[in-house]
Amino acid sequence: MSFFFALLFILASLVFVVGLTLKIIQYAKTPVPLKIVTTPAPVTKSGVVLRMFREVVFFESLFKSTKWTWIFSWVFHMALLLVLIRHLRYFIEPDAVPAVVWTLIELVQPFGMYAGFGMVLGLVGLFLRRVLVDRVRYISAPSDYLMLLMLGFIGFSGLMMTFVVHTDIVAIKQFFTFNGGQLPADFPLIIHLSLVALLMLIFPFSKLLHVPGIFFSPTRNQVDNPREKRHIVPWAKALEEEQN
Amino acid sequence: MHRLIDLKRVAVMMVASVLLSFATAAISDSTVVEGSKAAGMDKGGCVAPQMDMRRNHMEYLKHQRDEVVHKGDRSSKFALAECVNCHASKDKKGHPVPVNAKDQFCDSCHDYAAVNITCFQCHRKVPEEK
Repeated sequence: MSFFFALLFILASLVFVVGLTLKIIQYAKTPVPLKIVTTPAPVTKSGVVLRMFREVVFFESLFKSTKWTWIFSWVFHMALLLVLIRHLRYFIEPDAVPAVVWTLIELVQPFGMYAGFGMVLGLVGLFLRRVLVDRVRYISAPSDYLMLLMLGFIGFSGLMMTFVVHTDIVAIKQFFTFNGGQLPADFPLIIHLSLVALLMLIFPFSKLLHVPGIFFSPTRNQVDNPREKRHIVPWAKALEEEQN
Repeated sequence: MHRLIDLKRVAVMMVASVLLSFATAAISDSTVVEGSKAAGMDKGGCVAPQMDMRRNHMEYLKHQRDEVVHKGDRSSKFALAECVNCHASKDKKGHPVPVNAKDQFCDSCHDYAAVNITCFQCHRKVPEEK
């Protein structure tokens, strides 16, 4: 089993890292011929940084559009962040980082434990929204449900291991840090790891690309200064000069 | 069409992983520290099997604490004092080393897994002296 999971995670990590890198390169290269910023928008660069910060950390535009979606979504994402930070303990050796970093990882553990409930709660809310709100159900694709279900079961199996059927976490850490540990054969762990690997495999081809994508969204990352400074991309400029 | 085949393959791999998991079990080396009483014992010397203790020792200790504090029932085989009696090692001079000192029985895993326990702010961390 350990051998299979080792192969699976090597493959999944490769697909995740390479796929995500290629996608980010693609996003960075995508032409932005027009100024299409959503107004009211900041007129300075630092203002844009601040706007992106509010967007990424507080989900400002979602807050302004739908409060119910915002509350579930925000709770889920923030909880996921805490849970991910908590998981650092499985991948970092205590001696490999400064003592203060390790202390911080220790301190975040209890918060990460209970954040698991927030994560699942948010996902359940988002799932119910898809099912119960007619206009959302109408536009929901199978992949929308798949993502919610997968993340939900990842969270649920994780919570099971934290609070109900414990597993041998030292063995898991030895496995993931290439110290030759054997994965414990515990059912929730197998579900958890299989789903995480699957999520990593489909991440670069899925709606989860909103993670890097939000930073490349021209309606949010542009400065609102079309009159002060003409928006013209290099290739358009070359074309224009050719014509004249 | 291409995509469908890939999905199928992934699904087969998932199922295979679950099946395989039942065929193998995880057994790794002992973490008992040298010079402790436990080191001189057989594998079955502990109050519960190793695989069980690694997963559930915290639950057992918490359960035993509740039994003792709420009911005054000390009949449970799980007791922190007994853990310490067996698992504390001795230094070169023969003095017992605290179980929560660096790389000792409790600390070696807890530090490794970023677990911060407060047991020994109150409880004894060296074996009982007779």
